[in-house]
Amino acid sequence: MLQASSDELEEFETDSESQTRPVIETRGLTKRFGTVTALDHIDLTIRAGEFVSVMGPSGSGKTTFLNLISCLDTPTEGSYLLDGIDVSTFTEKERAVMRRERIGLVFQQFHLIPYLNAQENVMLAQHYHSVVDAEGATRALERVGLADRAHHLPSQLSGGEQQRVCIARALINEPSLILADEPTGNLDAKNEHLVMELFSELHREGRVIVLITHNPELGRRTDRTIWFEHGRRVRRASEAA
Amino acid sequence: MFTRLLQQSFRRDWRRKLLAIFTIVLATTLMTALASLSIDVGDKMAREMKAYGSNIKVVPKSDSIPLTIGGVNYNPLSGRDYLNEADLPKIKDIFWRNNITGLTPFLTLPVTLGSAEDDHVPLIGTYFHKLMPVEGFDNFFTGVTVTHPFWQVTGTWPEEDSLDQVLVGETLAERQGLKPGATLTLTSAEGKSRNVTVSGIVEASEEEAGGIVAPLALAQDLAGLSGKVGSVSVSALTIPENSLSRKARSDPSSLDAQQYDTWYCSAYVSAIVHQIEEALPNASARPIWQVADSEGVVIGKIQLLMAVVALAAFASSAMAISSLLNTSVMERSREIGLMKALGASEAAILSLFLGEAVIIGIIGGLIGAALGAGLSQIIGLTVFGATITFPGVVVLVVVIASILIALAGSVLPSRTIAALAPVETLYGRR
Repeated sequence: MLQASSDELEEFETDSESQTRPVIETRGLTKRFGTVTALDHIDLTIRAGEFVSVMGPSGSGKTTFLNLISCLDTPTEGSYLLDGIDVSTFTEKERAVMRRERIGLVFQQFHLIPYLNAQENVMLAQHYHSVVDAEGATRALERVGLADRAHHLPSQLSGGEQQRVCIARALINEPSLILADEPTGNLDAKNEHLVMELFSELHREGRVIVLITHNPELGRRTDRTIWFEHGRRVRRASEAA
Repeated sequence: MFTRLLQQSFRRDWRRKLLAIFTIVLATTLMTALASLSIDVGDKMAREMKAYGSNIKVVPKSDSIPLTIGGVNYNPLSGRDYLNEADLPKIKDIFWRNNITGLTPFLTLPVTLGSAEDDHVPLIGTYFHKLMPVEGFDNFFTGVTVTHPFWQVTGTWPEEDSLDQVLVGETLAERQGLKPGATLTLTSAEGKSRNVTVSGIVEASEEEAGGIVAPLALAQDLAGLSGKVGSVSVSALTIPENSLSRKARSDPSSLDAQQYDTWYCSAYVSAIVHQIEEALPNASARPIWQVADSEGVVIGKIQLLMAVVALAAFASSAMAISSLLNTSVMERSREIGLMKALGASEAAILSLFLGEAVIIGIIGGLIGAALGAGLSQIIGLTVFGATITFPGVVVLVVVIASILIALAGSVLPSRTIAALAPVETLYGRR
């Protein structure tokens, strides 16, 4: 394992990627919680059409990184350009607009509203984006293979099904960027496969997908893997291969 | 979707919502009862206070200083000014005619009983329960039974307009050993005599205790003053005095046009007095301030007390709602975090909680208004022995007040949670 300098990583990214436009660009991105530095000067570029996994041990800063690039949190230092727009200085109101217009979020804990059925959970994202459309929500559920579960409450769905509802909700507003935090962390092998197939399909359609995972097997199914350790980006020998 | 979120929130958390509605119901029941009582208590209390006597006295403008010794007016009747009995209905025809509940004329003259020349006693002529013809009021009965309800008669009241029946004051009756059915010969200073029968003994004020109370017609006959009265006691429903009416009392000409209109069109005792003087140009009307003031003070204090209790009910229920919703909001922090992660604005989150507050306020307000209307009737019947007029506007005011209570209680916790960063609530860091 090698500690990578920004220049080295930049060179690596230039080598390994086609020259599509950058979707995510971070420069010196840092997040501190009191005296603890959770993320330390991260320089990174993710380009249009990429399927990237972010890996690293617990406490390495993966989730903090995801929170920052999903506009759920603000950096202590550094800049973050999303589709060329510097969002690091945005207010919460402006970040809320970015989230609903450009980003689809998939959570390990699914975060479905327990008293809304599958279709309504999908429609909730529409509600905050534009106008609710039950047919559109049903189509999104069809896409993840859950058309027959549209009127089931989350408590009536299996973990895999709940995660697929979560993916349908992330897709409903046609975001260009999908960010997934350990999306298969609570799933069995069969459901893990189903979910990864869905992500691969979405990637083939041209969406940028950033997947946080502990699982090297899943990492291998992505275009490239970014490694974090102790809040810093590191380069592994296998990464350059 | 907004409706669905609200509906589900009520369905899922119905116990807490029910408790919030119940809190509002308690407060609004009290507020409704107090508001309707407060509006009607002025009239109710004023009517109650009328039991202590009339509150305005009307005398001829040029009446000289009364020369009264031992309750007997020794002013010579000749040369004095009088009011015309025929003008009395004009008092019931002023702007505040509906507030004039009664008016009683008096004509007092010294008389002697039997042959004893030095035995001068006052004879007070008045109405007992007389039908007065007034336009717009078909059955306006007035007299001492209306304006002086504290008068008590042992025996019977004399027939109205009779010339041979009188009441004798209790002191005089005791001194002379007079009982109902006794006969007397009354002789006036003008030398006119009448034989009368005592129909009853009257317990009234000190003035009447040592004298004779007779129908006005008898007094006019003995005094030779047909169609004349010496003074008129008026009972009027008034509102408490304030700085405007006190200013008008000292000098009505000091008011500007707008102040004058406000004062004239309000039922202040000074405004009613002014209007009586306008109706009877040769009369001077004066409030009996002891009565008028005490009415105003008592009613004012009762209304203030009600306002304080209503305000306390408002504040305590707002605090209870705040506490209830605070717990509810904190429990739903992850849900709110998710909504924010999906791009919900602070306003969208606030509108959800404030929408719940408005629904709680409307339901609680309507139930509270209905219960409060019932409670005010119970209080009205228990305290005043009469139903309370329930103005429809109270329902509107109370529902608005209950929405404000719910909003006041929920605005702080809602704002706190809506202002948190989504990452803090989504991952349960708060």
